[in-house]
Amino acid sequence: MKKTSLSLLKKLFPVALATSLTFSAAAADTVKVGVLHSLSGTMAISETSLKDVLLFTFDEINKGGGIKVGGKNYLIEPVVVDPASDWPLFAEKAEQLLVKDKVAVIFGCWTSVSRKFVLPVVERNNGLLFYPVQYEGEELSQNIFYTAEAVNQQAIPPVDYMLAEGKKKFYLLGSDYVYPRTTNKILKQYLKMKGIPDSDIVEIYTPFGHQDYQTIVAAIKAFAAGGKACVISTLNGDTNIPFFKEFANAGLTSENCPVVSFSISEDEFRGLPAKELAGHLGCWTYFMSLKTPENDKFVKDFLAWVKDPKVTGVDFKVTGVDPKGRVTCSPMNLSRIGVNLWKQAAEKADSFEVDKVRAALIGQKFKGPAGEVTMQENHHLVNNVFIGETLPSGQFKVIKTFNAVAGEPFSEKFLK
Amino acid sequence: MDMAFLLRRIVIFLIAAVILSSLFARGQDTNEFRRILAAAVIADDGDAQLEGIKQLINSSDELVARALAAWRLGELYVLTTGADEKIPILLDSRLDEEGRARAIRIRDGEYLKGETGEEKLFLASDLTPADTTSRLRRTIKTMLDLYAMANPMPRMRRDAVVKLGQEQNPDYLPHFEARQKIETDPEVKRALNEAIQLTRMADESAAVRNPAIIALGELNSINSLHFLKQFRTTATNDPAKYGQETIQALTASIVKIENHIWWGNVVGTVFRGFSLASVLLIAALGLAITFGLMGVINMAHGEVMAVGSYTAFMVQGIFGTGLMFSLFGNPIRIKGFGLTGTGFDAYFVVALMASFIMAALVGLLLERGIIRFLYKRPLESLLATWGVSLVLQQIFRHTFGAANVQVDSPSFLSGSFTFNGSPIGFNRIFVISFALFIVYGTYLLLTKTSLGLQIRAVMQNRNMASCVGVRTDRVNMMTFALGSGLAGMAGCCLSQIANVGPSLGQSYIVDCFMIVVLGGVGNIVGTVTASMGVGMTNQILEPWLGAVLGKIIVLGAIILFLQWRPAGIFVTKSRSLEG
Repeated sequence: MKKTSLSLLKKLFPVALATSLTFSAAAADTVKVGVLHSLSGTMAISETSLKDVLLFTFDEINKGGGIKVGGKNYLIEPVVVDPASDWPLFAEKAEQLLVKDKVAVIFGCWTSVSRKFVLPVVERNNGLLFYPVQYEGEELSQNIFYTAEAVNQQAIPPVDYMLAEGKKKFYLLGSDYVYPRTTNKILKQYLKMKGIPDSDIVEIYTPFGHQDYQTIVAAIKAFAAGGKACVISTLNGDTNIPFFKEFANAGLTSENCPVVSFSISEDEFRGLPAKELAGHLGCWTYFMSLKTPENDKFVKDFLAWVKDPKVTGVDFKVTGVDPKGRVTCSPMNLSRIGVNLWKQAAEKADSFEVDKVRAALIGQKFKGPAGEVTMQENHHLVNNVFIGETLPSGQFKVIKTFNAVAGEPFSEKFLK
Repeated sequence: MDMAFLLRRIVIFLIAAVILSSLFARGQDTNEFRRILAAAVIADDGDAQLEGIKQLINSSDELVARALAAWRLGELYVLTTGADEKIPILLDSRLDEEGRARAIRIRDGEYLKGETGEEKLFLASDLTPADTTSRLRRTIKTMLDLYAMANPMPRMRRDAVVKLGQEQNPDYLPHFEARQKIETDPEVKRALNEAIQLTRMADESAAVRNPAIIALGELNSINSLHFLKQFRTTATNDPAKYGQETIQALTASIVKIENHIWWGNVVGTVFRGFSLASVLLIAALGLAITFGLMGVINMAHGEVMAVGSYTAFMVQGIFGTGLMFSLFGNPIRIKGFGLTGTGFDAYFVVALMASFIMAALVGLLLERGIIRFLYKRPLESLLATWGVSLVLQQIFRHTFGAANVQVDSPSFLSGSFTFNGSPIGFNRIFVISFALFIVYGTYLLLTKTSLGLQIRAVMQNRNMASCVGVRTDRVNMMTFALGSGLAGMAGCCLSQIANVGPSLGQSYIVDCFMIVVLGGVGNIVGTVTASMGVGMTNQILEPWLGAVLGKIIVLGAIILFLQWRPAGIFVTKSRSLEG
């Protein structure tokens, strides 16, 4: 019935409708929060999961009574936009969120290039962006908080682990774009610092969507013939399948030449047949298989939520949530941590104003599924780092933990 | 009593006694190793732990091996009892409903029991794992490798031997030699020989060292090249210590092995060139018929390939565990045969045929439904087929999900053998032979059958063919279905080496058009030549310039070539192409 009267209103009094809507929104005490993840295009397969986990977290917070600011409880009202894997569109949508929708904070971006497009927009409008995906560092904006793994939290620990395992030769293989190139540049310097000669480090890139890994695998086989070799892979997305198939076919295994992949998390495994990847390594600040009470709850609640997705307390329809075969992964955990840190900071600052929240965020702690994290002055987290071995089920089995590694975006600080 | 009978009784008794006593002694030894291990686990001193583990070298006890493997993975636990006694334990692999398992005491291999004699149960997460350091884990790994030399699988034995040989530890020599006497697998034998020579190479005495170096060269031991080179650097820096003879031997062996590898690389590159060329050829052959012969700019060619790939996926599901997908929201469940092993492997043969039929049917529908109205209007057919390609992609997304699906390689297409160090994959050999097979098949079809005759007639002059009674409409339909069927087979074949997902077609369509245009539209020999040229050039350039630059140069070269010869390598004169 309400629908009919609304449509009638719409026809007759557009202005009245607009006023009545604003009125109803204001009455509910909500705070608008932007979600800036690609829901279509090539990145949708990765970013949709982050949109899902953000809405789930909003629901968690709203169920718990919302955010207490100025003596009132504010419920989170999501504003979801779709930048469609189009980098300039990320900037436009961010502008729209900040200027038109006047959101208090934006959670978003996956690729570094999309973040680079959003950066000037949030700086110009003094907005706030939380970025949750492992990245190459060398950046620090006053308006961005990086819950993501910095290079020294994701790339350096497994290299240390490989060195400790007696590996002496490193094959750095990556997709040809900014994250692998920067990471490998840093890793090369780091390896040289550790006394690995240039002749024992190989750096190779392949184009996006590369399918023919025969030559590279033959080269790796020759490289690994003398033993003590490993591969550090920043290959992106589904190029991993032809690579690992060829790798296994050539008789290379995790025993004679382990591969550490930085870009494959549990969520990527949904699209990657895991059989050929089993036994190789990954390094993240969170694994779905972690055994903590916080993680058990997170996984259980999230898996229940995707079957009946909603955001409690606000008029928002959740769409496009696939309930089948869902998993949790590090970028998802870091997205959720970002929302919680922002909530705590807003409560501490007793305001949603960006400057006050930013100040309150520094030093903010949150006990997440992978242990406690702390936001540092450099806008990066202190976080636990895990090295895991891939299982055929697409999960990771933790084989090494590095506790409380402080994220550092600038490589010159840890390359000393 | 018979004397002989008595003697026999005595002999039997004696033999039994010997067997019994040896059994007893063996039992004692086994327990001894278990005790050493248990002591090592709880020792405080890292060096004492290492010494303890090293003493286990002669153990053949399965529990010791299992415990060591568990220790390395952090699954060996130390239980502290009330009396502050530390007991190393291993959990049984069988769990009860609450995830608890029985505990095996390392010291004697008995299950841990409570006061009343019932077996105690433990939860892994409640227990403290025994500490490990990376040094300890490495030593354990070595020990496990020594045990692995007796593994029933030859590949495991070979890997273990290769790894142990690279340690160059003279302590292992007796183990290698003992194994060499009983080893039957030629590859493991060779690996043992390499390991022995590699270990001897590190010997102090030149009389042992030099023959070993020469032997490594004779063996063409690629695995040892790194060690030989390192050793040469050390030796040339201190010729007084190592002597000229050693340096000469090293240089000779290195040159010999490098020569060996060079040949391997040449053969490997040619093989990989052929393999990439075959992939391109298989993908482009269907298009060579629909675009080349018929002149239809079919942008949905890639998606027809994907139809073939998804057919392979479905056939695999039917042969294996079954399949569930939703077609436009209606869930469809296909029950599998539950085949494993050879039965399951046979799926691929069925899949090849099924993908041809499925894709041909799709092609038939496409031709009847859309393309036949557009034969005279190539631009419209381009747009219409592009639309079809988008529709098909969305159908794949809808039905099988946006993520890639896994098509398993049958066991006869997995693995490889090596030629002088270059891996030659079985799946690649298959792709090459399959390419030869379908090219030959297409050639026979076009030249030796009446359908082929009609196809060629229609292609050369449609009106004339029509006048002499060829049903051009029907021939068009059959030709398009044939081209689509070939594309489907290509998709099935590609599922063995590439990703199967909704965008599979997109990644091949450009390459396909490129090959057909480069070869000369309307000429299948041209398509073969073009794919060989592109595949070979790509593989020869890639090791020098990298995958990115290699591809750019190949594409640049094609552009220049087409500037020079716009009609491609082979120019075909045909009325249908001019009109």
